Amino acid sequence: MDRIDGMLEEFFAPEAPRALASRVLRAFRAERVGLERLVGKFRIEASERGVVRLHPGRGFHGPSAQARAHAERAGRELHEYFAGHRTFFTVPVDLAGVGEFQARVLAEASRIPFGEVDSYAALARRVGHPRAARAVGNALGANPVPVIVPCHRIIRGDGTWGHYAFGGEMKTQLLRLERSTPAIIGCTSTRIVCRRGCAHEQRVREVNRVVFASVEDAASVGYRPCRVCRPSSAA
Amino acid sequence: MDARTFARASEEYAARLYTVAHRLLGNRADAEDAVQRALLKAFEARESYAPRWALSTWLYRVLTNVCIDELRRRRRVPPEPLPPGRAGTQVDRVDLTGALATVPREARVLLALHYVNGLSYRELAAIRGISVNTVKSQLARGKAILKKALEE
Repeated sequence: MDRIDGMLEEFFAPEAPRALASRVLRAFRAERVGLERLVGKFRIEASERGVVRLHPGRGFHGPSAQARAHAERAGRELHEYFAGHRTFFTVPVDLAGVGEFQARVLAEASRIPFGEVDSYAALARRVGHPRAARAVGNALGANPVPVIVPCHRIIRGDGTWGHYAFGGEMKTQLLRLERSTPAIIGCTSTRIVCRRGCAHEQRVREVNRVVFASVEDAASVGYRPCRVCRPSSAA
Repeated sequence: MDARTFARASEEYAARLYTVAHRLLGNRADAEDAVQRALLKAFEARESYAPRWALSTWLYRVLTNVCIDELRRRRRVPPEPLPPGRAGTQVDRVDLTGALATVPREARVLLALHYVNGLSYRELAAIRGISVNTVKSQLARGKAILKKALEE
């Protein structure tokens, strides 16, 4: 084992580029612009089965108290999402008003996990119409509930963004937010791992938070998945 | 922790944090990005910093959280080769790089923290939120896997 110790020490010998600290501090001072300003700028419409429409505007609308409760819940979850405290939505979405093809495309888009992206062509293949990448693009472009149905996670095959209903700048911000928000959080006092946004995860204190790369990794050091948000079934 | 303490801490620890990130993520750009994000997060969460922690332990916790999340995102991408370490006389760095890639992620993180910074088992346990005995067994397991991979 001693030989391995020596080799590892050599391998891990410290090295850092010059002026790293000053570069880091400079970047730190150039404060980033948040998505928080988007909170409360949506008009959310819901039916009794779930959220129906989300578009620029204000307020929560629905034909009944139950429908408005869905809309308000969507508003709360969006708020948490934009603040980086949520990686998935639990509010139901009602896609009764859209066509069959579009509904399939949107359902398939919802399966792309937080923080990842896919191409229009790959999505077209998955809905069973491999040559219909453009139709998939149109279906996503007419997404009635953006953000909650994550049409921003679909980008063009060459890596450029493609069209986004709220503008490319917002798509960039959403993807950047997802890139810098950890998704699987463990609590050091309960030894449970949750998806970020789970009611239990939100009660974990900052000092008790550890991030894991996968549920298997967490299990290998003795953490168990939460029974409420079920991180193992999450992709 | 005020902004000045923070700036001083950044200057003091940036290089060490960078080395850990570089060994875990495999390239300079991602490593620098990770250090930046970690320091930013640490500053944002400074309210919850408890003085019972050493500041370095706290910073390493935040940094490993950032790096591990980055590794999660890469799981579908084929793993990039780790950067070669400083070549020793008899160390075949390609071998060690390849061998390290076979070590499970959690153990690799502990190895990096342990060997880059010589952190103690107790500190490692605090950083990853596991018990001291788990730290020991993970390190032993990681080294055993490394040894086996190198012998092949």
